[in-house]
Amino acid sequence: MMMQMMLIKSALALYAAATGMALTYLFSKDDKWSLWMLRLLGIGVLCHLGSFGARQYLFWQIPENRWFFSINSFFGALSFLALAVAAAFFVIEREHRLGILGAFVLPCAALGTGAAVIFADPATRGLPPALQSYWMNIHPMVLMAAYAMFGNAFGVGLALLIQEHQIKSRKPSELCYRLPSIEELDNLNYKIIVAAFPILTAGIIMGGVWAYEAWGRFWGWDAKETWSLVTALLYAGYLHMRLVRGLRGRKAVYVSMLAFASVIFTFFGVNYLSDLHGYLSARG
Amino acid sequence: MTKLFRSVRFNIFLGAAITLAAAVGTLIPQLGEAPEKAAAFQGAHPQWSRLFDFFGFFDLYHAWWFMGLLGLMALDIVLCQLWSPPPQFACEEEASSRSSRKEATLRRNPHQALFASRLPLERAFAQAQRGLAAQGYRIAADFATPAGAAFVATKHGLQRWGSYLAHIAFVVILAGALVKGIFGFVEMVPVMEGRSQALQHKPQWELFVDKFSVKYYDGTREPKDFASRLRVKQGGALLAQKTIRVNAPLDIQGVRFYQATWGAGGDFRSVTLKAGDVFTELPRHARRRIAGTPFEVEADVMMPNFTAEDGGPATASLDLDNPAVRFIFHGGARKIRPLWLFENDPQHCLVEGEDGALTHAPKPPFELAAIDPVLFSGIQVAYDPGYKIVLAGSGLWLIGTIMLFYLHRRRLWVIVEPQGGASCVSVGGWSSRGAQDFEAEFGLLMERLRAEMEPRSDLALSRNPLPEAS
Repeated sequence: MMMQMMLIKSALALYAAATGMALTYLFSKDDKWSLWMLRLLGIGVLCHLGSFGARQYLFWQIPENRWFFSINSFFGALSFLALAVAAAFFVIEREHRLGILGAFVLPCAALGTGAAVIFADPATRGLPPALQSYWMNIHPMVLMAAYAMFGNAFGVGLALLIQEHQIKSRKPSELCYRLPSIEELDNLNYKIIVAAFPILTAGIIMGGVWAYEAWGRFWGWDAKETWSLVTALLYAGYLHMRLVRGLRGRKAVYVSMLAFASVIFTFFGVNYLSDLHGYLSARG
Repeated sequence: MTKLFRSVRFNIFLGAAITLAAAVGTLIPQLGEAPEKAAAFQGAHPQWSRLFDFFGFFDLYHAWWFMGLLGLMALDIVLCQLWSPPPQFACEEEASSRSSRKEATLRRNPHQALFASRLPLERAFAQAQRGLAAQGYRIAADFATPAGAAFVATKHGLQRWGSYLAHIAFVVILAGALVKGIFGFVEMVPVMEGRSQALQHKPQWELFVDKFSVKYYDGTREPKDFASRLRVKQGGALLAQKTIRVNAPLDIQGVRFYQATWGAGGDFRSVTLKAGDVFTELPRHARRRIAGTPFEVEADVMMPNFTAEDGGPATASLDLDNPAVRFIFHGGARKIRPLWLFENDPQHCLVEGEDGALTHAPKPPFELAAIDPVLFSGIQVAYDPGYKIVLAGSGLWLIGTIMLFYLHRRRLWVIVEPQGGASCVSVGGWSSRGAQDFEAEFGLLMERLRAEMEPRSDLALSRNPLPEAS
């Protein structure tokens, strides 16, 4: 437990430092801040992975939990989601080297990790029988990977809104010249969402198959199921409007942000509405 | 009317209405999922309840108007797809030999390239086709132009099927749900351990629970496993038997038996009483003197989760959270009122009056050490013939969206014209990806094609470069 907490606190400190570097880079012209952000983030992701590994070791001490991922508690799920956001950003950043986006995405990873450390109970418990299925290692992991990508898209969308505001303002600040063009941000936002959408869809379908195997129905209109469908429909709406209506820029970002609000509600809020999926709030 | 159904705005409105309704349904307690919460809400908000009841909000996902919205969406998709037939495997429009139109199309393309080749017309034409085929392009059509020859090459043409599949998938999913609604069933069958129960929907089938077991994590009431040894018989003949667990149901001809829940109905085999260091086992309804005491008692009633309701004994649930047993005293000179003893709290003792009222009493010289309850196993029996249809629809939806969003159609129009003994090659490109994304790919592709076609920079082009795309 000590090792797990030490590593996750280190990851939190590194994410916070990387966020600081990203913010400094936002207002400076020195590329070294961006480089340091990436380095600190990389080490932070490694620490977080180490913490996850230490947690797995503890989790597997209970025989019934053996070979399952420890994401059945609020701490485990939130920590994993923050790790996925950070890792997804690391991959996107290495691919696109926009540098500036760290200021918008990394706070999400830092806040998620911080919330897990401060508010959630890190103790490991035995899995209830319903979660002792191989789907436990697939269905939530796939969905959280999609959520992490949507988190990155949210950061990109935020940057787009700021850039547009800067361009329209009479006195654009230095920030305007640091941020990528609106078209570039819009394309990146679209690319991330388009990559995440089939993953979200696959995750929802997997949940249906698991529900059929465990409870005898593919779809039961449980709050979690319904809100994940709402999320998928909102992102489908975004993609549809972009492809069919050519929706771009600010309006497209508003739709994607509405969909991301639904992601947040699906992850946090619905746990208090759903009995079947209430395990995150220890109600299931 | 047809215009209305085909309009994107109507589709968006319909989708938004379904999304909003689905979201609202999660905020109002639903009768099917949480009947107690729905009843509590109705009791607390009678005014709202009447309104919600009228619109079917307490069973929103089965309300006529919600089903109507889903049906309208399905109808809309069917009509839209009828008006827009599925794409053909071959590019019919390219098969046309209207070369002038093709050339005009080429000139309208956002991506254009023009270069000279040392190769004569026929060899340049064949080399261009080979070069693009090597890059994964399919030659969709070739035709003659007034001055030379042209062809159309495509890549990832399957993308056009993506939208079609994704929309059809929605109808397939709804069809699966309809099949389930008409032919399927779900019933909860609580069966006491060692007993049997006939199914409502399959009355000729009898379900036996030979053994039910539950295991808890050490020091907690959190279950780590619960299982039932099941037998299903039809007219005395054994159909199947299996020990079922959560996630491991029994399947007989598509009818699946799930381990859903368990509980204690109040029945028990025996209790163990402790007086000092001496234990006495007492079967239910058997009179027996407790060793080490002068009392002869009988255990007759058990409450799995004891609570005092209206002053009298009751159970808050069927979970063994606070099990208590009532003991009736027999014999002796003095009449003693029935006592309630608690397994989890040996110091606690209640006496039941003639009117059923409970009052605290001093602890007797014995305590309730253990109860051997007869548990019931809650078996959910479900038959869903629409499952595979829904699954197929979901798969179609996934494949459709992947084709639609991951594949990007590319189309190239290539015109080769003779220029002395050499050729002039004009290429126009289009992609379903954004122009910016395709720009770099098109540039690289043209660089490769040009290199394969023995370019010559010394040859002056006989025609002006292609105009900029508007």
